[in-house]
Amino acid sequence: MEVQKEGFLQKYDLYGCFQCGKCTGGCPVSLKSKLNIRKLMIEALLRDNLGNVVQREELWDCTTCKTCTLRCPRGLEPMDLLIGMRTLLVEEGHIPKTAIEALESTYKYGNPWGAAKNKRSEWANELGLKVLPQGDQASNLYFVCCTAAYDTRVQNVARSLVQCLRQIGYDFAILGNDETCCGSEIRRMGEEGLFEMLMDQNIESFNKYDFRSIVTTSPHCYNTIKNDYAQDGLDVRHYTQVLAEAVEEKNPFSGEVRKVITYHDPCFLGKQNGIFDEPRYILQSIAGVTFIDFDRSREKSLCCEGGGGRMWVEATDQGPRLAEIRVQDAVEMGAEILATACPFCLLTLEDAVKTTGNEERLRVMDISEILVEAL
Amino acid sequence: MEIIVCIKRVPETADADIVIDRTGRDIEKGGLVFDINEWDNYAVEEAILLKEKYGGSVTVISMGPEEVNETLRRALAMGADQAIRLTDPAFEGSDGYTIARVLSQAIKPLSYDLILTGVQTEDDGYGQVGPTLAEILGIRHAAVVNQIEGIESGRTRVHRELEGGLEEILDLELPAVLTIQTGINEPRYVSIMGIRKVAKKEIKVLGLRELAMKPEEAGEPGSLTVVEMVSFPPVGEGAQILEGTMDEISDKVVTILKEKGGVA
Repeated sequence: MEVQKEGFLQKYDLYGCFQCGKCTGGCPVSLKSKLNIRKLMIEALLRDNLGNVVQREELWDCTTCKTCTLRCPRGLEPMDLLIGMRTLLVEEGHIPKTAIEALESTYKYGNPWGAAKNKRSEWANELGLKVLPQGDQASNLYFVCCTAAYDTRVQNVARSLVQCLRQIGYDFAILGNDETCCGSEIRRMGEEGLFEMLMDQNIESFNKYDFRSIVTTSPHCYNTIKNDYAQDGLDVRHYTQVLAEAVEEKNPFSGEVRKVITYHDPCFLGKQNGIFDEPRYILQSIAGVTFIDFDRSREKSLCCEGGGGRMWVEATDQGPRLAEIRVQDAVEMGAEILATACPFCLLTLEDAVKTTGNEERLRVMDISEILVEAL
Repeated sequence: MEIIVCIKRVPETADADIVIDRTGRDIEKGGLVFDINEWDNYAVEEAILLKEKYGGSVTVISMGPEEVNETLRRALAMGADQAIRLTDPAFEGSDGYTIARVLSQAIKPLSYDLILTGVQTEDDGYGQVGPTLAEILGIRHAAVVNQIEGIESGRTRVHRELEGGLEEILDLELPAVLTIQTGINEPRYVSIMGIRKVAKKEIKVLGLRELAMKPEEAGEPGSLTVVEMVSFPPVGEGAQILEGTMDEISDKVVTILKEKGGVA
């Protein structure tokens, strides 16, 4: 593979790297994977043939949690370099088969889960939601996300969130089957062209209707609409922001949940967008809840390994899954519920509860589901 | 090494709700998603791999309306060099035999060492086009090929997948038609950027006249088989649709499996 190196050097400002190692020092997967982002930075700079540098299967171990970029004292963007390397592989076409399936499904059906486009809003059947393309009007748009729309476990999060939003009197509608993948994971798997296509489709949908803001289930959709689309006048909020605000004003969730709860910060919500307080505020406002925090929380939070396309690509490393470490920590702390606010975190953590045999001790729940129990 | 690959654009029906159309002879294709026939995707990849190994060029040929250009472009983005689309109102309703006949007319003037097709298509599934094409062209063929060992001095050694897990190894003189089985390789991903790069590449379009064919030789009049009707298979006995939440359904499955002796 021949790659024009000069453009690469400038795009990622590789001359700026002084190899301090803070990136690798914070990388949650470098402990167990061959992936070494600091090494990639220097090799991309010094090696003549970039094509050889990117031929490593551990490039797919990265979860794009962004810790490396956030820690870089020179303000460089190692995560984007890694995604750029994946882009080279994508354009050459030689990428993991499961990634190909997710990308092709997104191109054909508008979701990476291989599910039919006309079944996207089936989760909402009988909920009587307003649907913008059907002529309904609402002050806000609820952007559901592929995983909440299709995954039978996460559909419960979408339904719970609908109950919560109704409880706070939030006026909203959905795009129904016209909603398409936000492209967050697509971009992070390196399929820039497909991402642009999805972004254009979504922006076109957004522009057709009159609403004030977009509320998302997933921090990944939230992040990509806010920071990747970066459209002026497009106000996007994660649902924990909307609910926290309503709870602060006048808490309509008056029921009790007598449980010890801890909260796992999704990287795309916490680290990447600084939303640490709202989820905790909601949980602590529920009567009966004893809230305890992880030692590794907020900016230091441990990634669940669900981001960056990793929902569709198995890691090359043999180490324990980080989600399993997370679950063990939660159990040892005495938590009964491990709360989170991200579909991917929910799925990886719930799997980890099963693989570590903690089903009797710990429940993984989305914040919206806990709120429904407090109705 | 000059390689021709015959490909088809087909509707994806695995997860779709299928409705029989008003003629009763086909299904409604309006709401369906189309893509390259799965077997053909492996055939294109195999052709590109052979080109990367032995040099030469790859030409992809498909039959159908303008939408087929999308499928041809996908193959160009994978690495094919030329694309030809065969289209004519008279081709409508062609069966496997007639398709092979139309293809053969397009292929005859070209120079080629190998012709690859998929074993069968996802839509009609006749599996006839490849072998029929070889017969019409008067060249050798091997069907259900799951490995091409190599090409040397005008011959190729290929593995064929037979019934019951058997494998046959054939030594063929070129030119030949090989119908390619899925799993022979891992087809590469075709990126949107890749497709954009070939957006302007010419796709040669040929109709009945350019192929020197008469209307009665194509479409239904030229076909040896005619579809009279399509129908859903009758619902078999013993099938049970379980309803309820995921947990309830899995409990029911376990109960049934235990009852029927599937699990201890």
